[in-house]
Amino acid sequence: MQRMFMRRTGLALLLMLAASALTFALVSAAPGNVAALIAERAAGAGADGEMIAKIANDLGLNDPLPVRYLRWLGDAMTGDFGISLRTGKPMAEEFAERIPKTLALLAGGGVLALLLSLVMGLAGAVSNGGLVDKLLHALALIGASTPNFFVAAMLVIVFSVMLGWVPTFGVSGFSSWLLPWITIALFPGSVLARVVRVNLQEAMSRPFATTGFAKGLTRRAVLLREALPNILIPYMTTFGAQFTLMMIGAIVVERVFGLNGIGAFFIEAIRFRDFIGMQAVLMLFVVFFVSVNLLVDIAAMLADPRLRRPRRA
Amino acid sequence: MKNWPWLILTPALIFVLIGVFAPLLMTHNPSTQDYSAVLAPSSWSNWLGTDYLGRDMYSRIIGGARTSLVAMVFVLVAALVIGVVIGSFAGYVGGRTELVLISVIDIALALPSLIIALALIGVFSGEAWSWMSDYWKMILALTLAWWANYARMSRAVVMAELQQPYIEAARVMGASHMWIFTRHILPHVLGLVVVYASADAGALVLAIATLSFLGLGVAPPTPEWGQMLVDGMSYIEEYPSLVIIPGLALTAVVISFNLLGEAFALQKVPRAVRGGLLRRKKAARAVEEAARAQTEAKV
Amino acid sequence: MNVPIYAVENLVIDLYTPTVSVRAVDGASFHVLAGETVAIVGESGSGKTVMTLGPLGLMPEGVAVDLHGTAKADGRDILRLSPPELSALRGGFFGVIFQDPMSALNPMLKIGPQLARQAQLYAGLSAEAARREAVSLLARSGIPDPEDRYDRYPHELSGGMLQRAMIALALAARPRVLIADEPTTALDATVQAQILALIRQIQKEDGIAVVLITHDIGAVSVLADRVIVLYAGQIAEEGTAIDVLTAPLHPYTRGLLASVPDFRSNTASGNREIPGIPPNQAQLMPGCRFADRCDLVQVSCHIHRPRLQTVGLQTVASGEVPHRVACPVVLAAEGIATYD
Repeated sequence: MQRMFMRRTGLALLLMLAASALTFALVSAAPGNVAALIAERAAGAGADGEMIAKIANDLGLNDPLPVRYLRWLGDAMTGDFGISLRTGKPMAEEFAERIPKTLALLAGGGVLALLLSLVMGLAGAVSNGGLVDKLLHALALIGASTPNFFVAAMLVIVFSVMLGWVPTFGVSGFSSWLLPWITIALFPGSVLARVVRVNLQEAMSRPFATTGFAKGLTRRAVLLREALPNILIPYMTTFGAQFTLMMIGAIVVERVFGLNGIGAFFIEAIRFRDFIGMQAVLMLFVVFFVSVNLLVDIAAMLADPRLRRPRRA
Repeated sequence: MKNWPWLILTPALIFVLIGVFAPLLMTHNPSTQDYSAVLAPSSWSNWLGTDYLGRDMYSRIIGGARTSLVAMVFVLVAALVIGVVIGSFAGYVGGRTELVLISVIDIALALPSLIIALALIGVFSGEAWSWMSDYWKMILALTLAWWANYARMSRAVVMAELQQPYIEAARVMGASHMWIFTRHILPHVLGLVVVYASADAGALVLAIATLSFLGLGVAPPTPEWGQMLVDGMSYIEEYPSLVIIPGLALTAVVISFNLLGEAFALQKVPRAVRGGLLRRKKAARAVEEAARAQTEAKV
Repeated sequence: MNVPIYAVENLVIDLYTPTVSVRAVDGASFHVLAGETVAIVGESGSGKTVMTLGPLGLMPEGVAVDLHGTAKADGRDILRLSPPELSALRGGFFGVIFQDPMSALNPMLKIGPQLARQAQLYAGLSAEAARREAVSLLARSGIPDPEDRYDRYPHELSGGMLQRAMIALALAARPRVLIADEPTTALDATVQAQILALIRQIQKEDGIAVVLITHDIGAVSVLADRVIVLYAGQIAEEGTAIDVLTAPLHPYTRGLLASVPDFRSNTASGNREIPGIPPNQAQLMPGCRFADRCDLVQVSCHIHRPRLQTVGLQTVASGEVPHRVACPVVLAAEGIATYD
């Protein structure tokens, strides 16, 4: 077991390195870009080729790519992610300001998606082919098909414009998080609701469910005590995948609701050719996604008693 | 109701047909601005009203269908071809080449597709790429972000098929590698991949719309639903229809492709269309999991 | 006078799936007394599982079930009970052992706590006492080192151990009737004998009634006091084990017993199979269902449905047990009138 952990973790670290190297190569391949942009900032339109060349030299931008990558990596290890070409602030500062907001968004969304999926999936399983089950299936399909920016827009129309319960844009207290959380949780919640429902159905058709009935449990009890533990692993795996996809939702939601998290920064970096910012955020993303996948893999291994306690002869 | 399995295909089919015949279905030129009839409600001349520049909403929706369809087809076909070629090659050749290719595939799968697409669009904003239009940057970015999944799938199928006894038999009879691959293995790969792609199409349409919504995809005046939506956001309080109409169109298209995917998964699509795809899909998945379990057991 | 602890009368069970409907059990009656073992014998698809587990509501999900007749347990007709009432009875009155313990036990749950929970709910024990009871049940079922096994998961035990654990689980709620559905089919030959011995021992000690569903004649001869032979949803023959096994009347029973391989016989004829296959119960013809495969078949066999009639009586400790057969040809040979 331990060996498997080490191996997975090792592979994950390797993956992080490789992915970050690749992104660095792609983003920073043309040194002229960064130098030109810095020159623009400093001297406005008056930046000329000579100035750009000098800046490039000073910053070591003409060194071979691997050298620049290692230098950048070394800096990153000490917390220096460069200075944003767009805002002029150190990336570390941008991170400190923005990451908590995105994390709050993801955390709230994750919890909401968890609750939504369990409620919908279980309710459907209890109904078992009845009206509620069919209705929830349709709802899950719609939830998994509606673009999140449309959901955001609709929620704003209903709850802000028509009902006025919740502020439209910007962050101002707890209530302003509600619409963003609901928006970001709808897609994963719907996908996971189907995972719960389908897996519960499958579990209920397995022999141990009949044993559960033979024990004298009611159908509800069999669902909760016997079937539910058996969906844990497929659920966790899908949850992990959906959690990483939520980052994309976060990007959109941050933009729609005017939250200045890391997602919004990423989009602005792309639009304004802030290569340094892009590189820093991509590194962050790589670490985030690979770590989440690793954690989910490990959790899934731990959750399976067959792996946790291998069969002794 | 015996024909109802084919009904599942219909909504997706409608989308394709609208996209193909778009110019014939439009009532106006979707880019023509008419300042005299700005933000007009629906009427006999403008069935769905006009937007903030006086452009006919109905024609823009039809035009958007075509934009999405064309872009989606480009990306899907390209990603499919690249993915199948690389993945099949890796699975068939094996050895160190396979290892290298798998590493590339795994790295490409480390990030979600849309994030990769966004990053690539960021890369393409550099000087070296300024010759490419925004539209083609988006297509290229999405293609490079999308191929890896198909590569992994193809490799799994190839590996599963290589276990089959008739492969060994064919080789003994002196068949060339190309022959074996094209005749025996490729059909299985394509079977699985096409099934997956038909459901994936919906996700791709969504991705295109999301990119356009973020201002990084299709640029105006080309009609595109995501872009129409972001334009409409400014008028959301008084003229919500600018947002609702493209939103509903998008949702409808994605639902139809998701239904298609679910129908394939539940084997409701008639045999003629499906063939033996599902069995192979299950076999491929089973083999992949078995291989994974084996490697775990070795550790 | 012994009152049956579980008595089923005129049971008719129809099964419905989206594609087909089947009358799985067609007018069967049986009972079991405290302390006795009744074996229900038949081939796969004969309806023996449906007949026994159907009234308890233990049919797999996805199959719609229609039950007619009466099934009396603990003085009540369980077919008329509401689902929660039936659930309670299932736990406390009936204990069930299933065929494949590896799949019948939940892979995600530890074994011991399940037993303890049954003891707590149905035997009214405290949590602490229930745990001790669970451990002692495991020990009684022949599981070595029960304290350790209490916290184990099913995949950590061998097939034989698991079946013992399942027996312990069934007994934890102190049932009056133990239903064993093919308890030895999935086990190795040596383990089979041990499990059967265990069941017999438990029955002797606790005086519970045992219903053994099986197609294994060997198990029948070891455990059963009485035997019921089921064919295509109808009872073909019933009586004491000695009667049915040594003097079988129904052509099907005779064929069944003859097809059991006997390594001691030197005959060069080998095993004799019953020709043909069981009927498709979704499309049944009138008359005797065994007619197509029967070596005694007559024209009237295809027209009239045979009824169970008594041929002889055996006196045992619990009373008199009739030997009954549903075959007019055999009955005629015995000099017994069949149709009115």
